[in-house]
Amino acid sequence: MEIVNNKLEAKDLINVGIFTAVYFVLFFVGMMLGYIPIFILLLPLICPVLCGIPFMLYLTKVKKFGMVTLTGVILGILNLLIGSGVFVLISGIIFGLLGDLIMKAGDYKSWKLSLIGTGVFSLWIMGFISRMFFTRTDFFASLTSGYGQEYVDTLMGYTPNWMFPVLFIINFIGGLAGALLGKAVLKKHFEKAGIA
Amino acid sequence: MEPEWKLPFEQRSVIPVDPRTKIILTLTVSTIMVSGGTGGVMNIVRPVLAAIPVLMLALSQKWNAVARFGITYLILFMLELIMLPELTGSMNFLAGAMIGIYTHMLPGFIMGYYLISTTTVSEFVAAMEKVGMPQQVVIPVSVVFRFFPTLQEEYSSIQNAMRMRGITAVRNPLQMLEYRVVPLMISVAKIGEELSAAAITRGLGAKRKRTNICEIGFRCFDVLLLLISGVCWAGFLIG
Repeated sequence: MEIVNNKLEAKDLINVGIFTAVYFVLFFVGMMLGYIPIFILLLPLICPVLCGIPFMLYLTKVKKFGMVTLTGVILGILNLLIGSGVFVLISGIIFGLLGDLIMKAGDYKSWKLSLIGTGVFSLWIMGFISRMFFTRTDFFASLTSGYGQEYVDTLMGYTPNWMFPVLFIINFIGGLAGALLGKAVLKKHFEKAGIA
Repeated sequence: MEPEWKLPFEQRSVIPVDPRTKIILTLTVSTIMVSGGTGGVMNIVRPVLAAIPVLMLALSQKWNAVARFGITYLILFMLELIMLPELTGSMNFLAGAMIGIYTHMLPGFIMGYYLISTTTVSEFVAAMEKVGMPQQVVIPVSVVFRFFPTLQEEYSSIQNAMRMRGITAVRNPLQMLEYRVVPLMISVAKIGEELSAAAITRGLGAKRKRTNICEIGFRCFDVLLLLISGVCWAGFLIG
């Protein structure tokens, strides 16, 4: 029963909500690890891997353009609410849209394009870290007062400017690894259970 | 026109607060507490913003949460005042970072908890429609809010079951991840289907405009809260 209808319906929107909620919770778990000073650099690697499982299951429900974009937008809004700043919303919109476009090129069926799309989508996490580079002095000044000079020195030492593009690549690799993990789990569990 | 009876949609708050005010307050508290500095004006702004979430919870008569978070605050301040000066070197660094993180993030979390636990989905949808937010954003976001408590419930049940089977983080972290996330995803997918069916039965996604029974509007108290957050923003941007 294929219905040719490209508008998002209530059912689609609810699916967006549900999977975004799971995605956000897993992201949040990863983010808490990231608050240990040195771990913040592992954040772009850990989070997308954790989130790969719900995201791949989510993709099996995505058949229309806009759902992945919405997920990006809502993740941005949620992060804005917990105080991560405006950059996350911006990157959520940009990489949500980009990921969505890539996956749409494969009609949401091509595994290769989904893999790349997931990697690109997961780059929204960089919005979370970009604060550290774009508004560098402000960011570290605000940290000094709350977290102590030593914390800031450690963090600054680990994040010279060239780290920014490197982190993008790490993030992308994390996204790919998450997609592969998600795919493996999908095969092992969800397809058998008949929900994928 | 005042209706003669009130439906129990409004939360048990002493003074009702508009969901939009709650959202703005949440933004204010979390953003300024996380990325604001200390010293100067912030010496006043910070305690105010830290107190707001607990006060708001008290106004909504969530006494359990008030007690829990109040005690957490107390412990944190004691630690900061008593323990930190005693420690030196790397221990000071670690403890300082931990306490710093908590005092920065906790108020925002409490505010988020307040926002979710005292706003019904109907109220939230009504408020968002008034702002003119498109349906495509309102529906997923309200599902997300409605879903956090469900997720927590499901997760704690799964955790119990897994503990009974002896699958814990210590023995095998990766296995733990698999054995926690997979059951969670399966139950989430099931709940999601039920939720869609229920929502469609209630006319979500119908072509006609939905009516809403919740009375949403800014009152005096909202204006006061908005003023407070405006002042805090001013302090944050200038200081």
